[in-house]
Amino acid sequence: MIDEFAVKSVAAVYGLAWVVTLVYIAILNSKLGRLERQLDEIAVVLERRSGDG
Amino acid sequence: MNGSRRARPDGATVAATAAALLMSLALAMIFFWVPTDIDQGYSQRIFYFHVPIALTTYTLFGWGAINAARYLWKREPSLDLKSYVPMHLGVIFGSLTLVTGSIWANISWGHWWFWGDTQLTTFLIIFLFYCAYFMLRFSVEPGERRASYSAVYALLGVGLIPLSVIGVRVAQRNELIHPITFNSNGANMDTSMFLTFLVALAAMLALAVTMYLVELRGKRIDERVRLIRRLAEEGAA
Repeated sequence: MIDEFAVKSVAAVYGLAWVVTLVYIAILNSKLGRLERQLDEIAVVLERRSGDG
Repeated sequence: MNGSRRARPDGATVAATAAALLMSLALAMIFFWVPTDIDQGYSQRIFYFHVPIALTTYTLFGWGAINAARYLWKREPSLDLKSYVPMHLGVIFGSLTLVTGSIWANISWGHWWFWGDTQLTTFLIIFLFYCAYFMLRFSVEPGERRASYSAVYALLGVGLIPLSVIGVRVAQRNELIHPITFNSNGANMDTSMFLTFLVALAAMLALAVTMYLVELRGKRIDERVRLIRRLAEEGAA
């Protein structure tokens, strides 16, 4: 007979580890989004320069 | 014939693949293979995640300190980044250690936290010390001074890790509440449990290596984008 409270505690620990990993991936994704926006801004500046030239 | 040449997988891809395989194996072993502990029952399965996470935290802080020492020796800016990223990850893994430890403490001792336990308290001190690392780092302007201060602080902090281990051994002589898994006689557990622990530890280390390599690459790209942006704006002006 497995203690229900023990099962819930074990599930909480393993679930938490997954949640932390997923949050980390989400933060990395938002940083990649920021980099993408910065690259778009650089592209606009360079396009303007090539148009002026 | 560059088109026909296949690109070699980078370190992060190799580490991520190893982490995925090892984590799957570890979870299968933890929930379907390893026997239930006689003393602690089902909740002992927390050990296979909690202890590897704690050891990974120490490894990350140690790796950060090694790179900090290398920075102070060589003064290469890339080594400052290689010191900062493990510190950041170490705090993430450290938070997880504290939370998983509290859940285990609640089921084992009936308390979320026990201030009388040397290992818990010393781990919290180390964790808080490294949280303060970020306050120091981001209170100084980016540059050589910030990198030097951060490196010295990282080196000071790593000295607390052996203190934590010694603290547990000292507490062992007095009233002990935190279980001692490894002592001078080796691993204090069944062979199958030890094997499962090793696989879980390898999985956690592989995950940490993956996160380290990915975050490091992200920071490098960020630096390059800033440089290109500055050059583009200077050229446009």
